[in-house]
Amino acid sequence: MNARPLLSGLGGIGLFLGLWQLIIGSGLIEYDFLPSPWAILGGLWAMLGDREFYEEALHTLAATLGGWVIAVVLGVGLGALLGSSTTCRRYSLASVEVLRPLPAVAFVPLALLLFGFSLQMELLVIVAPALWPSLINTMEGFAGVPQRLSDVAASFRLSPIERLLRIDLPAAAPSVLVGLRLSLSLALVMSVVAEMVGNPQGLGYGLVREQQALNPERMFGYVLVIGLVGVCLNAILVMASGWILPGQFRRPQAGWDTP
Amino acid sequence: MSVAQAPSPVFALRDLGYSVSIREGVREILAGVSFELAEREILSIVGASGTGKTSLLRIVAGLVAQSSGELSFRGVPVSGPPLGVAVVFQDYANALLQWRTVAGNVLLGIERRFSRAECNDRVASALSLVGLERHARDYPWQLSGGMQQRVQIARALALAPSVLLMDEPFASLDALTKSSLQDEMLRLRDETGASFVFITHDIEEAIYLGDRVAVLRGRPGTIAECHPVGLGRERDQVGTRAAPEFLRLRQHLHGAIGAHA
Repeated sequence: MNARPLLSGLGGIGLFLGLWQLIIGSGLIEYDFLPSPWAILGGLWAMLGDREFYEEALHTLAATLGGWVIAVVLGVGLGALLGSSTTCRRYSLASVEVLRPLPAVAFVPLALLLFGFSLQMELLVIVAPALWPSLINTMEGFAGVPQRLSDVAASFRLSPIERLLRIDLPAAAPSVLVGLRLSLSLALVMSVVAEMVGNPQGLGYGLVREQQALNPERMFGYVLVIGLVGVCLNAILVMASGWILPGQFRRPQAGWDTP
Repeated sequence: MSVAQAPSPVFALRDLGYSVSIREGVREILAGVSFELAEREILSIVGASGTGKTSLLRIVAGLVAQSSGELSFRGVPVSGPPLGVAVVFQDYANALLQWRTVAGNVLLGIERRFSRAECNDRVASALSLVGLERHARDYPWQLSGGMQQRVQIARALALAPSVLLMDEPFASLDALTKSSLQDEMLRLRDETGASFVFITHDIEEAIYLGDRVAVLRGRPGTIAECHPVGLGRERDQVGTRAAPEFLRLRQHLHGAIGAHA
């Protein structure tokens, strides 16, 4: 990655935080519960001493990744099926288009009714929306494999499995990987939502708990940590994509497509 | 051409037709196409656009079934791509696997069929036949158009095919690259003993490469005429193209190709 845009970007963040600190410090704006960045850093530091915080972080990470894996297995599997078969697509695209725009949060009450305050509830809330980006992108990737490559596969007499592994999957890979990334950031968002309103565990629950305890420094600390987890997960996946995709796809793809 | 007492021809087409369904009904692409391809022969098929050249090649390659008539490969009816037949497509950028190196592309058709050592040998000799031995580890997108088309030809040659079907393989290349690949193709025929069906819209190319030139004409397209090329097997870019036989055929085909189009 090029260092220059990264540095400029960090400069922008620094400027924003500096202004914030200045405005609060000068007393220009006074809210009872809007702490300065410096105070938030103090809150964060205090949190880092708590055992509870690490358990919460671990829980959210596990729920996010667990939900993501389920969503990806379902999404890529179904997407590959729909993308390679026109017949499958004809019969199921309408259902996909009806289910997909349902707001992710609308699943929360249903999940609560079904599973109560539990990990299953959290996983359902994650998987239901995180499925779609993987499914749609995989489907489009597979459907977009050029006719010419199908000709090549047929004329070299590749078996269906060989064709899937050698032609379709690599040809669709860039699109599939975009889907995986979108699903991952959505999975994190949904795990935090589920923890805020349902399952009383994890970073989302911590965030709500500190808010209700009138600890805005720690509350902002949680926001910061959740943000950092998101950035790290995305960065890991971007690095992994660069490693998985050889050749032309090793060049970085256009960047900020997270919702 | 002496094909005296040839056994069965490599390819035989009899009264072949092809139509596709469109919104308004059925469109006939090809009708009553008949020809035979002999061993070690280069058959050029020349035609204007819209005469069904590419459809014809895809049918002969077993990629799509004809709607009527008969197609046989060495006496056996074709149902799917026959063994020993390789295809070279016009659009090399789509036909190559952009995520594989040059060597990886050449491996595509053989990697599951032969031992690793045999594969390496075949890749090396196919690449040296087309002069790409120094580019085995490059990716297709790092090469020029002419070199990418050579990769596709090498990939076909690695199968050690007895027939190569070529669909306007040099159409999108510049004149210099084109003529050097044409000469390479003639050399390959001598070295490998393969037969070729060479589809083109370029009359001069059809004559220069062909032992016979067939004219695909009309809608639906049909083989309207077929001429032996009396130029012998030795061809060269300057002499051959100035030979009276070449000029006579060229003039004739210019008229023949456009009629009823």
